[in-house]
Amino acid sequence: MLVVFCIFLIPILYIIGSIFLGFSDNFYHIYDNLLFEYSINSIFLVFGVSILVTILGVSTAWLVTFFNFYGKKFFQWALILPLAVPSYLLAYVFTEFFEFSGTANNILRYLLNTESDVIFFPNIRTIWGAITVFSFTLYPYVYMVARVAFMNIPFSIIEASFLLGKNSISTLFSLSIPLIRPAIIAGVTLVAMETLADFGAVQHFAIPTFTTGIFRTWTGLYDLTTALQLSSILLFIIFIFLSFERRSRNKIQFSNSESKNNSFHSIQLTSFKNAFAFFVCFIPVFIGFFLPVIELINWSTQVDTLISSKIIIAAKNTLYVSSSATILTCFIALLINYIVRSFGLSQSFNDLLSIGYAVPGLILAVGITKMFTSIDFILTDLNIYITGSIFGLVLAYIIKSYAISNNVINSSFTSIPLSIDESAKTLKTNRFSILRKIHIPLLKTGLLTAFLLVMGELIKELPATLILRPFNFDTLSVSVYLLASEERMFEAAFPGLMIIIFGLIPIYFLNNLILSNSK
Amino acid sequence: MKDFLKLKNINLTFGKEKILDGLNLSINKGQFIAITGVSGSGKTSLLRIICGLEKPNDGEVHLDNNILLNDKISIPTEKRNIGLVIQEKVLFPHLNVKKNIEFGISTKNNKQDISKDIMEKLNILDLAKKYPHELSGGESQRVALGRSIVMKPKVLMFDEPFTGLDKELKIKIYPIIKSILLKNEITAIMVTHDLNEVKALADQCYNLKNGKLIEI
Repeated sequence: MLVVFCIFLIPILYIIGSIFLGFSDNFYHIYDNLLFEYSINSIFLVFGVSILVTILGVSTAWLVTFFNFYGKKFFQWALILPLAVPSYLLAYVFTEFFEFSGTANNILRYLLNTESDVIFFPNIRTIWGAITVFSFTLYPYVYMVARVAFMNIPFSIIEASFLLGKNSISTLFSLSIPLIRPAIIAGVTLVAMETLADFGAVQHFAIPTFTTGIFRTWTGLYDLTTALQLSSILLFIIFIFLSFERRSRNKIQFSNSESKNNSFHSIQLTSFKNAFAFFVCFIPVFIGFFLPVIELINWSTQVDTLISSKIIIAAKNTLYVSSSATILTCFIALLINYIVRSFGLSQSFNDLLSIGYAVPGLILAVGITKMFTSIDFILTDLNIYITGSIFGLVLAYIIKSYAISNNVINSSFTSIPLSIDESAKTLKTNRFSILRKIHIPLLKTGLLTAFLLVMGELIKELPATLILRPFNFDTLSVSVYLLASEERMFEAAFPGLMIIIFGLIPIYFLNNLILSNSK
Repeated sequence: MKDFLKLKNINLTFGKEKILDGLNLSINKGQFIAITGVSGSGKTSLLRIICGLEKPNDGEVHLDNNILLNDKISIPTEKRNIGLVIQEKVLFPHLNVKKNIEFGISTKNNKQDISKDIMEKLNILDLAKKYPHELSGGESQRVALGRSIVMKPKVLMFDEPFTGLDKELKIKIYPIIKSILLKNEITAIMVTHDLNEVKALADQCYNLKNGKLIEI
């Protein structure tokens, strides 16, 4: 247990500890010339994305929860589809789609019969473009929490508002939104953390932020200590967001405190309102999911060899490394939850291990590299080197995704009454047999769900993979990144599509989770 | 005013079960009527139809010579100016008592005076800053009542609002309600199982049986 604890937390301690190592000239140079720009861009990005995801997530959740309109059943699940599209992939699609010779300009030129040098869309590679990209891929975080929270408002309370003379829109602003505010804050905070942690999209849009700064300091200036020190600043900001998210999540109980009303009737929208609701829900699904998928399919058809040997190897590598890490993550989560349950280990220990999900992949990679170089230094006499091996990548994956598998396995464990364990003990079953013969068969669905959720998340992971992958070891996400950075978009399309297809699996489970909550 | 609230030939079915069967009702302005009936007889559905929270299969609802519902028109709940106080806790959990009462008041000028006045009348002024989860059942019901009354509804309906309250509190609250309703000339409909409540508050009593109202 102590080993797991140390392995999980040492990389993070390395990052935090770096601020005590003294500051180099590089740090002062960054502090004087770049840190302000990194901060302003990061803040502006987070602020813009937070506003847009709130508008997109809350409005769509409100419409599909309280109203009947054309396509509602489809939108209920389709609105979370953009989660399958990593931000960096949408950034690549947007760049090509809206560029001078891209599909968007070509379509409009054709439709309006204009000259071939007419440009209809502004340059997308700006901070506004990045805000749009992040918002349309990350709004489902807000949509999901807002939808569940809206469904938990007793309908009798909504009816009371109507009886007091408020119409639907007035009820939304004066009652429903204030009631679900903690849930919205929790969702938006998660989005803010994801935005701050992103590397692929901001790198492609050439926006100087903390993550691109860390990457450049390390790979350009070869200054790992300064990269760690910059990481610790970002980590500090992320932890502030994390504490906000935790506080808001605790307050969600408040809005769920009343019992649900069974006499819930969705309001039927007619004519203009019906079309408007359809449009409001269609736009985010189209931009966040169908547009990139259609464009990637379009690009895929324009290459001679769709499935090259490189792509096959990348797919194999992706499955190999992500499935290994997923199995290990689920195994560790199962074991730790079992120990918490059967041996009385504190749940806060488990919570502490889950903190890794908040640490950006790039920062985690920096911390793990530092830890591994220290271990290599100790093992130098034995001629063993672990830096640059697959272990670093698997470890990063495990630390990053432990929280996901822990959440699922923990709640599955909670649903098994303790009396079952006690009955087994009276039948002279030892603790290990209880796990093997009782818990694991009962946890089968939970374990499978955890496996798929973690797997779906790891397949699209980019920054940690980019840094920690062994030499000549490409995954799908790395292939897409490398091809896109060489502007070979058509070749990047098929691996990109594969990432989306893999990403759809956990979406299916998430959707079932939301639907089961509504019943 | 005669026939202030008028229901004509209201029919309501749930699946194959007929709940309301050509129901008719006429109430004069300021009148207080009580409706009794066994569980599942359609009492709550009748109130929900009147305030627009539920739609019948057919029938008409008229209020103060205006059509609220017929086969072509259905005025939305928020525009009917009809209040409903129910047994279930429907106070807004994120607002304190004062804000709950002021929720529906649209005028900004004397909002405070209106809410203070009703809180004094219902003896809940000292609860003004408390939140719904800090209130007892009786206190919650008085706040819900005050919240509906400040809207000056044309009709105020009660769906078993005093179930679960102790006898002493009920005896205290009945005359307060009666005097507020009389003073503001509010027409009232109350669904109840309690004959003492009927005696204390209602001018007229009906029994809902086989989908029709029978005066008793």
